Amino acid sequence: MIFSELREIQRQFGYLPAEELRTLAKKIDVPLYRLHGVASSYPHFRLTPPPRADVRICQDMSCHLRGAAELRSAVEGAAGQIAQQDVRISGTSCLGRCDQSPAVAVNDQIFSGLTAGHLTVMIGNLLADVPLPTPVESRHRVPCALDPYQTDEPYQAIRNFVQSRDAKGALEVLKASGLRGLGGAGFPTESKWQMVRQAPAPTKFIVCNADESEPGTIKDRFILSNLPHLVIEGMILAGLLTGAQKGILYIRHEYEEQEKILHEEIRRCRKLQLLGTSVLGSDFTFELEIFVSPGGYICGEETALLEAIEGRRAEPRNKPPFPVIEGLWNMPTVINNVETFANVPAILLRGVDWYKAQGQGGAAGLKFIGVSGDVMRPGVYEVPMGTPVSELIFKYGGGIPNGKKLKGFAPSGPSSGYLPASLADVRLDFKSLADAGSMLGSGALVVCAEDRCMLDMALNSTQFFRNESCGKCVPCRVGSQKLVAMLTGWTHGKGSAADLALLDELADALRLTSICGLGQVVPAPIASVLKHFREEVDSHLLHSHCPAGVCPSGKSGATPRIDARVQLRHA
Amino acid sequence: MSAGLMIDLTVDGKKVSVPAGTSVFDAARLNNIEIPTLCHQQNEKPIGVCRVCVVDVGARVFTASCVRPAEQGMVVSTNSEKVKQARRTLVELLMTDHVSPCARERQSGDCELEALAKQDNLARSRFAPQATRRGVDDSSMSIGVDFDACILCDRCIRGCDEIRENFVLGRMGKGETTRIAFDNNLPMGESSCVSCGECMVSCPTGALTNKVINQTAIAAPGSEPVSLQELNELPFFEGVSGTFLSLNRNAVVRRRFKRGDVICREGEYGSTAFYILDGEARVSIASPIAHVKTKGAVKRFLGKLSSRLTQRQNDVRDDETGQHWIHIDAPMDLSYENPVATLKAGDLFGEMTCMSLYPRSATVRAESDCTVLELLRNVLDIMQRNKNFRAQLDRSYRQRALDSHLRAVPIFAGLTDEFIEGLREKVELLRFSPGQVICRQGDHADSFFLVRIGFVKVSQTHLGGDMVLAYLSRGDYFGETGLLKGDVRTATCSALDHVEVVRISAADFAEMNRQFPEVRHQLELVDRERTQMNRERLTALSSTPLDSFLKQGLMEAQSLLLLDLDSCTRCDACVRACADAHDGVTRLVREGLRFDHYLVATSCRQCLDPLCMVGCPVGSIRRRNSLEVIIEDWCIGCGLCADNCPYGNINMHPFDVFADVPGSPGQKKAMVKQKATSCDLCSEFAEPSCVYACPHDAAHRVNPRQFFAGLLQQSSDKSPKD
Repeated sequence: MIFSELREIQRQFGYLPAEELRTLAKKIDVPLYRLHGVASSYPHFRLTPPPRADVRICQDMSCHLRGAAELRSAVEGAAGQIAQQDVRISGTSCLGRCDQSPAVAVNDQIFSGLTAGHLTVMIGNLLADVPLPTPVESRHRVPCALDPYQTDEPYQAIRNFVQSRDAKGALEVLKASGLRGLGGAGFPTESKWQMVRQAPAPTKFIVCNADESEPGTIKDRFILSNLPHLVIEGMILAGLLTGAQKGILYIRHEYEEQEKILHEEIRRCRKLQLLGTSVLGSDFTFELEIFVSPGGYICGEETALLEAIEGRRAEPRNKPPFPVIEGLWNMPTVINNVETFANVPAILLRGVDWYKAQGQGGAAGLKFIGVSGDVMRPGVYEVPMGTPVSELIFKYGGGIPNGKKLKGFAPSGPSSGYLPASLADVRLDFKSLADAGSMLGSGALVVCAEDRCMLDMALNSTQFFRNESCGKCVPCRVGSQKLVAMLTGWTHGKGSAADLALLDELADALRLTSICGLGQVVPAPIASVLKHFREEVDSHLLHSHCPAGVCPSGKSGATPRIDARVQLRHA
Repeated sequence: MSAGLMIDLTVDGKKVSVPAGTSVFDAARLNNIEIPTLCHQQNEKPIGVCRVCVVDVGARVFTASCVRPAEQGMVVSTNSEKVKQARRTLVELLMTDHVSPCARERQSGDCELEALAKQDNLARSRFAPQATRRGVDDSSMSIGVDFDACILCDRCIRGCDEIRENFVLGRMGKGETTRIAFDNNLPMGESSCVSCGECMVSCPTGALTNKVINQTAIAAPGSEPVSLQELNELPFFEGVSGTFLSLNRNAVVRRRFKRGDVICREGEYGSTAFYILDGEARVSIASPIAHVKTKGAVKRFLGKLSSRLTQRQNDVRDDETGQHWIHIDAPMDLSYENPVATLKAGDLFGEMTCMSLYPRSATVRAESDCTVLELLRNVLDIMQRNKNFRAQLDRSYRQRALDSHLRAVPIFAGLTDEFIEGLREKVELLRFSPGQVICRQGDHADSFFLVRIGFVKVSQTHLGGDMVLAYLSRGDYFGETGLLKGDVRTATCSALDHVEVVRISAADFAEMNRQFPEVRHQLELVDRERTQMNRERLTALSSTPLDSFLKQGLMEAQSLLLLDLDSCTRCDACVRACADAHDGVTRLVREGLRFDHYLVATSCRQCLDPLCMVGCPVGSIRRRNSLEVIIEDWCIGCGLCADNCPYGNINMHPFDVFADVPGSPGQKKAMVKQKATSCDLCSEFAEPSCVYACPHDAAHRVNPRQFFAGLLQQSSDKSPKD
């Protein structure tokens, strides 16, 4: 409720004037500090009037690899003469357009593939009150192997269940399939549903996490565009199987097009009586609504997401209790990722054997992988679980531009850390990647060509975590900032052996004491780079030299600093 | 959790048993194992944000013991090397950006973070400190805020929410920029904070500390300290943290007065306010109610002039107010005819002296034996922010003072009792801190204000900068211009010091105008005058070239006494003439700024920003529409205006008077009382005495703008042709 009120004020005034907040606080009887605390913590809300042209350029991983920094400085140069209250050029966190890097939000509308020239013209137009062009996303749907309804009428799985009412059987199928959460953590889906089903509570909730905000992660946007009916069917099935009567689909606000598609699909479901107080004429009730996130990567953390729905600052909760016991409004709650829900109808209709047969190399099922960074054809590919990374890069992704060689890759955005080219044959599945010291995560393969500096990539990833930390707990709030400062020093040729010991201590504190996954993975990028690209880091530390010529230390042409006394401890 | 169910677990190798629902932290504590923490304290809900209390329960990651319930069979390690190392890193991280020693460490040596750092032998953090500091907030009178000492443990937030239910404090921003904020990030002193002190008492570091206004107790003879228990029992300290009160114990004393004793004397400077616990006191003005009148002998033109104290009915000056009420620093106004009133138990007086250090406005004497609390600023602030006390003050104001306050404004004198009765509960009583904006130029006009306490600065922003239109004090009103036109605010009104106003809503204001056409008519007249005057001044402002003339501040002047240095022989005849004309007290000093070949003699310049009017405790200094200063009859001779005038143009003129002898009613004795005077342009005469007296025709009284404009015109006419 708070968010809808705040949105309404922002729609009216373009920002949230202090006086309006004061009035709202009185009207809805919420302390003013809470409204302000909430409004100031979400990027979507503004507390000061916006400039006439507000240009935010994505600065994370995929866009970083595709020239976001260069684009930003070019635009800043071009707009340098214009008064600050009229134009603001700033960096922003991942906009979810990693396949069309670099992505830019201009007055909250997202564009991709723009050059500095385009942007300069756009800014000029805005200052001359010429409206922005409306970006059009193609509504053409790509056929997917996961869709059991390529030709048939959808929602058959629900029909079957309402007829059979065999919840036990359905859950057994899910269990036998081994379906695991596909948002990153990989928790067994059936087990989560079973716990909620068995929880003795009057109210239960189903929440779909469509807040994908990790750099490189774009597969949920693809699934929502192409398979919205499977996601909704999965959610309804979760409701029917667990006894939850209310579903909330939590979608990031940058996915306006997908939001429209979902609204259309929900309308269709209401017409078909798949939603409402009597699902297909039975005594089952299930309602579904869409909750648009006010923004921030941290909202993808499941308990922070719940806090956001409850109208508070998106700060993760201490666990236990887990959401299956105390979730939304303290009620048992299933929270699953978009892709997890989308898998359920196919598994129930086509069975365990079909599901297992879809994988390769011992893994089961299909997986949507976003491929971005240094590849010819960035995009989302539906592949068998267990497909080798090299196949995704060279076969699906079309290889690396300009005939360059592969240097490394992140199997799943910043959280997974970086692996070297020598491990390119690793299969994309839970076990193989865990064995390689990484993780399948959300399926966001980001590719780095030979001329990239991996220390620079680690710094970029760490900056992302620092920017997106909610600030609730000390290790993440302070530690991520200190780590960025340390790595920035390294890229400027100011590092020492003592830093490595300190980094170890800091990494342990982050991993062991942070409240949530965000804080825990902050050290992952630099740890992986130290593990796999040690020589490159040593060059920065020992010789103030960036071998790739990317970092300021290398660019400045500083004479190599060789200090024989420095003994580097291996991390 | 069923009652009585016990949970068995192992903490640091020790088998312990605790009731179900006990946290790991408490399970350890109950068994004498101390786990360090920063964000957790027993009287608040645990939130596990500092992470210092983490323990190893054998999981992938550590868990915060304060929020983790003990589980059957749990094996807890609170002090393994790994746990201690992680904890040490957290403390080191926090110390990196913590000002050290922080205010708490300096005051009482008990900053909890610094104590942990000492335990860990962390002399210096190895991490790089943040480049930008988060700053301090000095706006509260009783609590100091240092964001750089803050570790975001949220103890203050929970203290404010859970313990006191005041709901003022929260987190703002996100990630590394997160800070605590009051309301919507207002300075603490301007926020809805009630100064209960709970946040400060909860704070583990020097982020929120008690502000010591005065190191020593109020050192008045016969003052008694008030015990913490006694303070706690006073209703207006209800809800205030005991620790906080105890820290401020020295800033409040009890004083007992016998009948006839003087509690405070008009014109004296002070820094305290008084609250009457029991008994009655008489408030009065002992200075003669009269102004300085200079008269020349009938026959001779110069030489035999004399200044006398004259009452306004005997000497009606132009633009004099017909005001019947004298505004003083107490909950009531005094009548011009009989400036005496009674203060009762429950009354607070001396607020302006206490908050803004102005001289006492009146003399207060015990009418019966009475007991009084004397308070310093911080304690007064705590009281005034207390909901109960606020309600008591507000109620008393609405019941006793609103009508006299309204009627003291001549325009509103005709309001009927019924109407004021109707307003009583509808008006809003608002407080503002120094510098806070009450209404802003350009905003929609939605209310009308009456000044109750303090000074309100009215200024207008133009292309050239800000222009001060007026300083308003008790009894003045503002906000009518926008309302009458149904438009936006034409000026910005801000609190110059501690200000309290009565806010009347647009609807009630409209109703008043509808019921009392005469009021509306008067308001419109005043409004037209004010607008006209402002326009003239603005025109004058914008038509003057910005040169050294402006830089010297002479632009401020409406009228200047100029001495042409080419003709002046420094004979001082002008000064003597002025002294002669004003009973030996000259209002003219032959010194001042120079412009071209002119000396600008120090004589009232009738500034655009009349600083002399700020702080007059009885509101007796005022400007006529002609912008000359006029000092009303009830000047108590405190001399503040003379001190405030940057040009030394207000002088204190002593008079011998007969006045009451303290303690002996009916008896009078001769004493010297002073009254403020300023250049009156010798309005009795055709020409100012100084100008008349100059034997060299070097003295001129001019309008600077016209005069210098002519001069500048001449020079610019000349130069190109030459």
